Amino acid sequence: MNRSIYLLKRIALALPVILFGLTVTFLILYRGPLDPANAILGQDAAPSDVRRLRVALGYINPDGSPVPLWQQYYGVMSDLLLFDFGNSWAVQRNVSVASIIVSRMPATLWLGFWSVMVALVVGIPTGFFAGLRANSLSDYVASGGGIVWRAMPNFWLAVILAGSLTAGGLMSWYRHFPCGPNENPCAWRTDVVTTPSEVSNLFSTIDLFTGVPVLEMLFIPVPNGFNLLIAFKWILPAALVLGSASMGNEIRIGRTAVLESINSKYVETAKAKGLSPRRIIVKHVGRNAAIPLLPVIMGEFYLLIGGSVLVEKVFSINGLGNLFFRAIIVPDIPVVMALVFIFVLINVFVNITQDLLYTVIDPRVTLEDTG
Amino acid sequence: MASSTNTQNAEPLRRDDSTVLSRIADNPWPAARWVAVMGVLVLLELGALLGGFLNVVEALLIAVTGLAEVTVGLVSSSLAAGILGFQQSAASTLSGLRADTEGIPTLLSRDVIPNQGYQPGGTGAWEGPFLGLEPAYAWALRLVLVLAYALVLSYWLFRGWLVFREHYRQMEWSPTDDVVDKLRTHRWGQFGIVILVLFLTMGLFGPAMGPTTVEQNILSPYTEDSRIEYYNAESGSVETVFAGEANFNAKSIGSQDSNVGPMTYDDYGRFHPFGTLTNGRDLFTFMMGGARISLIVTGIAIGLGTLLAGGLAMVSAFYRGSIDLGVLTLADGIVSVPRLLLLIMVSAVFANTWLGNILDGGFLLAVVFGLTIWPFLWRAVRGPALQVAQEAWVDAAKSFGQQPSIIMRKHMFPYIMGYLLIYASMSAGGIIISLSALSFLGNGLGISPPTPAWGRAVSLGQGLVSGPSWHISFIPGAMIVLLVTGMNAFGDGIRDAIDPESDTGEGGETTAAGGGG
Repeated sequence: MNRSIYLLKRIALALPVILFGLTVTFLILYRGPLDPANAILGQDAAPSDVRRLRVALGYINPDGSPVPLWQQYYGVMSDLLLFDFGNSWAVQRNVSVASIIVSRMPATLWLGFWSVMVALVVGIPTGFFAGLRANSLSDYVASGGGIVWRAMPNFWLAVILAGSLTAGGLMSWYRHFPCGPNENPCAWRTDVVTTPSEVSNLFSTIDLFTGVPVLEMLFIPVPNGFNLLIAFKWILPAALVLGSASMGNEIRIGRTAVLESINSKYVETAKAKGLSPRRIIVKHVGRNAAIPLLPVIMGEFYLLIGGSVLVEKVFSINGLGNLFFRAIIVPDIPVVMALVFIFVLINVFVNITQDLLYTVIDPRVTLEDTG
Repeated sequence: MASSTNTQNAEPLRRDDSTVLSRIADNPWPAARWVAVMGVLVLLELGALLGGFLNVVEALLIAVTGLAEVTVGLVSSSLAAGILGFQQSAASTLSGLRADTEGIPTLLSRDVIPNQGYQPGGTGAWEGPFLGLEPAYAWALRLVLVLAYALVLSYWLFRGWLVFREHYRQMEWSPTDDVVDKLRTHRWGQFGIVILVLFLTMGLFGPAMGPTTVEQNILSPYTEDSRIEYYNAESGSVETVFAGEANFNAKSIGSQDSNVGPMTYDDYGRFHPFGTLTNGRDLFTFMMGGARISLIVTGIAIGLGTLLAGGLAMVSAFYRGSIDLGVLTLADGIVSVPRLLLLIMVSAVFANTWLGNILDGGFLLAVVFGLTIWPFLWRAVRGPALQVAQEAWVDAAKSFGQQPSIIMRKHMFPYIMGYLLIYASMSAGGIIISLSALSFLGNGLGISPPTPAWGRAVSLGQGLVSGPSWHISFIPGAMIVLLVTGMNAFGDGIRDAIDPESDTGEGGETTAAGGGG
């Protein structure tokens, strides 16, 4: 099957998936026992105010009759699908949801980027290393570590890491690692985790929802290396926690995948041909081991979205996860709907990318199989 | 020996149509011996076992009636109210029965081996604990005995299966035998089984394992039953105090002079194996209470998820085509909403409603877990189900005119059951983690206080990790790591036992197992 036709088919199949996710969310938020008017105005609000607010929120008509659920559904869904997220009710009242999300996004992206990187850079080489020295002491240490690492709850790891960094003692070297000029004394506080201005500036130049000035992206100011290093220092513990489960998975799957391919006939042939060990590992073992690793790596995105709520909360990072948590507790329904919509979109996009990538790394996979 | 000749005699009977009972009647000795030992074991702990059994029955009753209530509620609210009434009356009958079972004497209870007491005069022999031992030793003795009992009991249950297999089963051999025999040499899998037994013991015998009870220490520390006697050094006499007041003076809040660490006594002669919480409650007792609710929620969720996944996998493999595609789209739709976010949403929206109060909020979470975990299990067993649907015996059953539901149950299900077990045990770890993550977030999410929940303990000690009160956050998390590792090990063990070749290619599914929360 032609790749573009396959892609179109996948996108067509993704539509019911997106609609399903949004419908479930809509039903929970609008049909469930939530009373946003009460939450926004408080318990003792005057009935006339409550009523006016309910009209404004689209729950009742001006004459007092309730707006039918299907009509609310139609309104909410058509706005969402046109990327019109409306205004926030409570988190930042009357500010457009899109601008709130854009202002919070850099922190989450900065965190997510490093958690994927840390997991990849540590997990895969460790897994390969363990697989190449199977059943040695270093293998047991590496794969045993992977097993425990995988079983650790993110929130707990975050609490323990944040706590030990604050305390100093054994971890105090980390504060001094790169210490910025404004940090006096060099300390670790969870409330200063920030996005480097280079990254946030990048975002302020892009207006995601009113058109993207792509050209401006090409003129990114040269990042200040030292600032980036300090920002990296702040984000690293959180990224390590968020990537922990994926890292454990990558160690495990990487190890078995290497074990499997190293005992195969084509590696034997390569050895017999006289290829250097490094070439065998990179070209023949590594490439084949990448196939089972792909779903793990792509699965990271799934874990990142859920995990960011907990990690951002413990490390006080002002990102999308924290925003979601605040919005659902208040409750601020437009913000929650918009965030769920974005997360569902990311998920669906990652899934399609994964299937396409399969065909790239593994020519044996035909597009018919996966459709 | 008589039994061996009996076995010889019984041999020809094994392949005919005799019933199990008649085979036992022909060769009663192995069964009789097993039953005799089992009877003794059960009698020793009758009260605790009955109590635990009633707890499970109650949870199941609430789960089933709760589900019925929600479904019926969509059609008629008066019928749903009727079900609610039935649920409440049945649940209260069961709690009454459970209270009665607490009156049945059990050997390993805190009445027989008490650990609470005081030293008249401030030094010397202890008044109250078992044999005048120090409370720590009395408690440790009881704990070790309970654990040993649980291990022996589980071994004896397994032994029962062995006796059945050797003497009474109709088939000489079944594939399960190979799986079990391989597991008997699989140390990693056995580690998982031991950990599972350990935590199940905590759920079942938790009230006898803690140094005090959830009732006295946490739920109602200011009732007359919650008075404890202690030696007051200032007045030089033995006085009584409410457990709640004692808790107030046994807080662990991070400073050196206000901390009761692991393996220490507080000012009231109470021993705290894991130390105390920020509100002075005993962490070990809290953990035992948390084990029960965690295991009940996980059990309901995994049961529901496995049922859905197994059923849908067989249906989609049997009919294929558009039904398969429909299930696939539904599964993708469910997976597309990140599970933790959905749980936070549902938990926040339904906080403080009647639905959110069943099982202290655990029931609703269990249902959401069950409804969101099945796509992962379904994807994992869909392959094996498709494979078995193409086997000759399924074709034969079809041409024979067998009903599809019977074909699925009798000819397909046994084949995919092992795979379901693997992925169920691996996903259970993810459920435990997410459940505690919700309790950690608080704000009405997760298990509602004051019912103990592991995640809440981590959250209570959040700011104190670096000080002397490090135990509050550290120990509950370490126990979660242990349990989840054990569940993964159990899954690994079964997978190796079923199919030693299949170690790769399941990365996508195993990501569901760990982390996430």
